[in-house]
Amino acid sequence: MPRLEVELAGLRLRNPTVLASGVLGLSAGLAKRVEEAGAGAFTTKTVTREPRRGYPNPTFVVLEHGYLNAVGLANPGIDYFCRELREMRQRLSIPIILSAGGGSAEELVEVAKRGVECGAQAVELNVSCPHVSGMGVELGHRAEEVASAVGEIKRLGVPVFVKLSVHHDYIRLAEACLDAGASGFTAINTVRGMAIDIYARKPVLSNVYGGYSGRAIKPIAVRVVYELYEAFPDAPIIGVGGVDGWEAALEFILAGASAVGVGSEIARKDLGLFKEILEGLEEYMEREGFNSIEELVGLAHRS
Amino acid sequence: MGLEPKSAGPRSAQSAGFRLRAGHARGAVVGARVAAKQVLELKLEVDLDEPEPGQFVMLWVPGVGEVPMSIADYDGGVLTMYITRRGRVTGYLHDHVREGVRLFVRGPYGRGFSAIERGRALLVGGGTGAAPLHFLAKRLRERGVDCVAALGFRSAEHAILLGEMARLCRVEVATDDGSMGFGGPVHEVAAKLLSEERFDAVYACGPEPMIAAVLELARSKGVPFEASLERYMRCAVGVCGSCVLEPLGLRVCRDGPVFSGEVLSRVEDLGRWWRDADGRLVPLR
Repeated sequence: MPRLEVELAGLRLRNPTVLASGVLGLSAGLAKRVEEAGAGAFTTKTVTREPRRGYPNPTFVVLEHGYLNAVGLANPGIDYFCRELREMRQRLSIPIILSAGGGSAEELVEVAKRGVECGAQAVELNVSCPHVSGMGVELGHRAEEVASAVGEIKRLGVPVFVKLSVHHDYIRLAEACLDAGASGFTAINTVRGMAIDIYARKPVLSNVYGGYSGRAIKPIAVRVVYELYEAFPDAPIIGVGGVDGWEAALEFILAGASAVGVGSEIARKDLGLFKEILEGLEEYMEREGFNSIEELVGLAHRS
Repeated sequence: MGLEPKSAGPRSAQSAGFRLRAGHARGAVVGARVAAKQVLELKLEVDLDEPEPGQFVMLWVPGVGEVPMSIADYDGGVLTMYITRRGRVTGYLHDHVREGVRLFVRGPYGRGFSAIERGRALLVGGGTGAAPLHFLAKRLRERGVDCVAALGFRSAEHAILLGEMARLCRVEVATDDGSMGFGGPVHEVAAKLLSEERFDAVYACGPEPMIAAVLELARSKGVPFEASLERYMRCAVGVCGSCVLEPLGLRVCRDGPVFSGEVLSRVEDLGRWWRDADGRLVPLR
């Protein structure tokens, strides 16, 4: 039997699938279901220092080849979320990655510190949300500030991942973060987009702009993962963007991802998507003669 | 035959062949009238995939907002909804929407009621909770199932769907102020019906304390039960997690909005907690 276990910056994952940030990520009950569905790790929804109500609906719309959302980083704030994190730790055995958000390095550090106290086993810095001004992509443009947050959070003794966006100079940001001690990267966040209803003759999202996700962005995400792996072959990558089955997961792994995020395509396939990916990976490995996921990571780079 | 047994664990009833239409369907308002105090009856001509009773739609008013809405009927391409004035979007609908206006809908979404094939059904509704029960009653009657509907309202002025329901089921009315029918909570009417008559299924929709009370009654009589719940929703397709019920992690939009009695008896949030837009639990008002 091929082995699906992977090692991700010191975290041991029973398989390479990770629930991506932003979906299903605020409740311990749902986290438990994600674990039961087969996920190898769980990323929380992005949590900030203060509670955020997010934007008014419509905040999400299904499009022909993907999904557009502008939820607006709605979350209960780290103090309230601490209880949920503790319960997640009690009920789950897969690693829990806290997605930390904020408008400054100081806020990121504060959220991460509290989250780790409450049980998070790793931190992912969301410096790439495309629809909240001052908190997402804009912060990611300030590479030195992000790097300083990475340095401080690294001292908490847990792996730190930086979530990248195509809207960044992501190679430069990645380099600055690695120099500051980042453990690895999550790539990519949603891509800034918008949709207009031609009969309403108005933008669909209340926020006008949103983040585009789903299978349409997969080739873009695979390209970023490939570039990152080429530039920093030793930095583990969680590849995210339109993973809708085992073939997509494999593409990310071959491009250089050690783990693969599963997100909005759950809208179409529901939680059964995890099992579908895992069974597909196993069958592929058996058929193609691979014993472990590690053998496949970055394989597309070698001649 | 009762309701098919439902496992309380994770379900992915829609995993196979779940069709997601892109964008919103546009509809023209073909009827907008005040059906009762603070309740607007809205009829929208709109092309949707055939909804099941208990499913819901997201109703979008461009420039104003989008809200989940239960389906009272979908017949000949006309979607009927009963809308209580509550917030920004429903207030706008009450004040500004007239015949001819264009509105937008996505859905139908979620898991609806499992209508029994034969026997007798008790439908218990509170306020606009009567709306999805009307759609269900139509389905039950098509199958030849007898139904009794116990419908509760604040007062006679708030009552909706009485005539329509009377064409499908025997109707018993309760009002809080006694201005029509039994004076008191509708679950007391349900209790009397359940003790005096035999039912093969109980269906409920309305305020959660009422649902919790009827769930207890149905359980004590050993009658299969289903109820439709409501929560703050965003995506409506099961990915954002805004509408989750604890401790089971059930998404009202995707695993529900209709849940079985076995499941609901394990939902600690039932009748107690509402999840706010920021994800915090607040006491259910």
